Amino acid sequence: MKQTILTFLTKVNSDRVSELTMHLEVMARDVENNTYIPFTDLKLLHFASLVLNDDPDYGAYFAFENNFDGPLDPYLEDLYAHASEGLHKIYSCCLDYSAASAADKAAMLSYLRARVVRPNAYHIGNVGRSVERTHREDVLRDSLEDFLDGLVRQGDSGSPASIRQKVQAFVRSQPNLAWAANVEPRQTTMEHFLPRLKIVIAAIIAVLLLPLLIPLAIIWLIMLRWTETHEPPPPDLDVNVHVRNLVAREDRTHIVQNHMASITTVKPGAFRRRTLWGVLWLVNFIARTADKGKLSGIPSIHFAHWSMIDKGRRLFFVSNFDGSWENYLDDFIDKASTGLTAVWTNTVGFPKTSWLVREGARDGSRFKANARDKQTYTNVWYSAYTQLTVQTIDNNSAIREDLFTSLDEAATRDWVRRF
Amino acid sequence: MVELQPEDMKDIQGFVMSGYAHLPCVSYLLLSVNDAPAARVWIGQILNEVTTSEGKEFISCLNVALTHHGLKRLGLNADTLDSFSRPFIEGMATPHRSRILGDSDENSPENWDWGFPKDSDDSEAVDILLLLFGKDELTLEEVINEHRARFDQGGLILRRALGAGRQPDIHEHFGFADGMGQPAIEGTIQTRDAAPRNVIRTGEILLGYINDYGKPADSPSVSPALDPLHALLDVPAMDGAGKGQPANSGVDRPAKRDFGRNGSYLVFRQMAQHVAKFCHFLDEATRTPDGQLDPKAGDRLAAKFVGRWQNGAPLVLSPDADDPALSQADDFGFRETDEHGFKCPIGSHIRRSNPRDSVGPDAGTALATANRHRILRRGRSYGVRPENRRIDDGVPRGLHFLCLNADIERQFEFVQQTWINNPVFSGLDGEVDPLVGNLSKGDEIFTVQADPLRRRVHNLERFVTVKGGAYFFLPSIRALRYLASL
Repeated sequence: MKQTILTFLTKVNSDRVSELTMHLEVMARDVENNTYIPFTDLKLLHFASLVLNDDPDYGAYFAFENNFDGPLDPYLEDLYAHASEGLHKIYSCCLDYSAASAADKAAMLSYLRARVVRPNAYHIGNVGRSVERTHREDVLRDSLEDFLDGLVRQGDSGSPASIRQKVQAFVRSQPNLAWAANVEPRQTTMEHFLPRLKIVIAAIIAVLLLPLLIPLAIIWLIMLRWTETHEPPPPDLDVNVHVRNLVAREDRTHIVQNHMASITTVKPGAFRRRTLWGVLWLVNFIARTADKGKLSGIPSIHFAHWSMIDKGRRLFFVSNFDGSWENYLDDFIDKASTGLTAVWTNTVGFPKTSWLVREGARDGSRFKANARDKQTYTNVWYSAYTQLTVQTIDNNSAIREDLFTSLDEAATRDWVRRF
Repeated sequence: MVELQPEDMKDIQGFVMSGYAHLPCVSYLLLSVNDAPAARVWIGQILNEVTTSEGKEFISCLNVALTHHGLKRLGLNADTLDSFSRPFIEGMATPHRSRILGDSDENSPENWDWGFPKDSDDSEAVDILLLLFGKDELTLEEVINEHRARFDQGGLILRRALGAGRQPDIHEHFGFADGMGQPAIEGTIQTRDAAPRNVIRTGEILLGYINDYGKPADSPSVSPALDPLHALLDVPAMDGAGKGQPANSGVDRPAKRDFGRNGSYLVFRQMAQHVAKFCHFLDEATRTPDGQLDPKAGDRLAAKFVGRWQNGAPLVLSPDADDPALSQADDFGFRETDEHGFKCPIGSHIRRSNPRDSVGPDAGTALATANRHRILRRGRSYGVRPENRRIDDGVPRGLHFLCLNADIERQFEFVQQTWINNPVFSGLDGEVDPLVGNLSKGDEIFTVQADPLRRRVHNLERFVTVKGGAYFFLPSIRALRYLASL
């Protein structure tokens, strides 16, 4: 099962920014029951966000972020079927939208298709788990937990093997859990090996081209260092007022999940633009093999993506993550400062960096202040499973996938510990 | 780079270095400023009585802290007021903060006895916290009376006096020894007996010093023009832009005076404890299969909640019974001793409030990360012990939780949000801290990991309710003198 990450990015008619803001406000009051886009009816949709950003230089942009199961076409059909009226109201506020009414399907869909932004780099936490599967496996886990509570109450736990046998017998006895036995693979063999194969091929090509690459790398390094030492230092930021607006929307889901969107200006000049493009290409290359739930050691990202927009002059970043903003940013600093410094050092306001990856985000306070400064208000945010973390979803899958496989003693013990 | 010098001890309030364990009687006086000029004179008068960190033992001690509202009332300039950290400026009772601190339902600020401002210009808001300590009841009473007599002339109104009287021992009301597991501030005598893993950078507690990121802790500052007497220290020329190199790098940042140096943020939460409810819960949760009470099992479950036995021995070191020899033990991790929580549950109070080496890809990274979120606790129990722990006598009792930190958001609030109240902490699923978490939503559970099979305890109740709270700033002596001179 493949998932798709994309954003419909549109410019907003400057006369209608306040009208769009109003629509989004209405949606945000009760996201799950809003009448514009009935998210819960979109069975393919994991996370979605609607972000309106009004920039003094670039004008008002509207980003509709979608993370869904399968390719674009069926999702778009489904979206239209459930939300044509709401989408029409929303996109009527946007530039170049020509559909006369919600019934003009062709015009609306071609408008959206033409404004798809696919990310330069992205990460998926629970690779291959559809929304439906995620929900089902959570129900399974809950009923097994209740069943195990019963065993404990009866003082009847016994060895790991006997516990497991009882769980298996329980699942077999429940017709509504019959689906659990037919485990679908998270990825096809091809999906699993292709990214790795690509890395091997790329490495071979790189070795072959070494005589060419070395001088290029030296030139690039010299340009990089010259740029780094000649750029003005980042300003001290006072982000208190901005953060006050941002946090008003945070930590709504019993603080299990949060959303973050940011738009940063890429530092001027083609050098930084190309460097950023190259870094994102590399990040994406590596992220395609990150199918164990972690991106550079960070275990809490459901869907994150980076898109260069405005011909590479701005970087749009979106993340749907577990836990608090503070914790997320700390994880970045502690576990992924190299990668994230390599990306964001090419953007305005990032802490002083040397050699692309050194210092940078390790200046924690400045890094966080800048991240807050560039963060843009998420007007509407939807999650299909607000109480589940990447780790919980993975654990639920592991419980289900190993339910009827043959396990040795140690593996049986580990399986019982998953509860 | 600023380092703590011996003479700084004269400038740092004593509450940073000591909880004054030798002074068992305490009163916290919450004051509003009614007349700013008179209050400034009052600060000048008490300046010489404020206990510092020089380490002398007195029969009574006095420390003073202020809210943002209080600093404003005293006439601190707007730029300096804006240079404090956001949580301190906004206060503890904002809607977002209530979500992350777990202050909903009974805990929500509008139900508090104190600390919930009616509006931003609330004249009854808490402005000043006066902390008074005495070696006995009589000494404390004298000190309180002496101070109360000066409030009128000092333009102050006493809003509330929160007593924390003598307790028979160091145990809090649920029966557990309290106050262990403190971090030690680098560069102070606190490090003398501390395990290296518990030592934190000076700037984690005191503003203006190097913090765990290797940068000076953010500190409010004053423009030199507003400090003509040079009462405050200069903000050092080096700052956070790069290690040991001038931050300015060609850009002129105006020189500033450091209002925050040698000060710290003080978090105060009054938490009522419902002892009878707690005991009844343990009784019911541990009845034997034939319905009999099992007090030993109740004690064991309580220890599982806490992560230490009643006398303080950590479960990871002494899983089966209390061991008095380990009552102060603090040099341990969780990963190395008890990765799966079989001894000390993953969701136990001490594991949530400081996960040590357990949450992260490896022990070293986990410990380094956890140590970025330490707080220096300075709490005291209030109210008398119940005669019978199983009878609700209606007497108010609980804990005045006070703690110090340099970054409220990264330290105190992070602990509350990411650890204590996090339903998915460290791989758990749908449970919060069994003691102080926001237990509110129906079937609250607590998982006791065991080999081979965990046990889930159901229907936890709210054993602790928040009765009030505020964020204060505990200034240096210099900063107090500056305030007096305004």
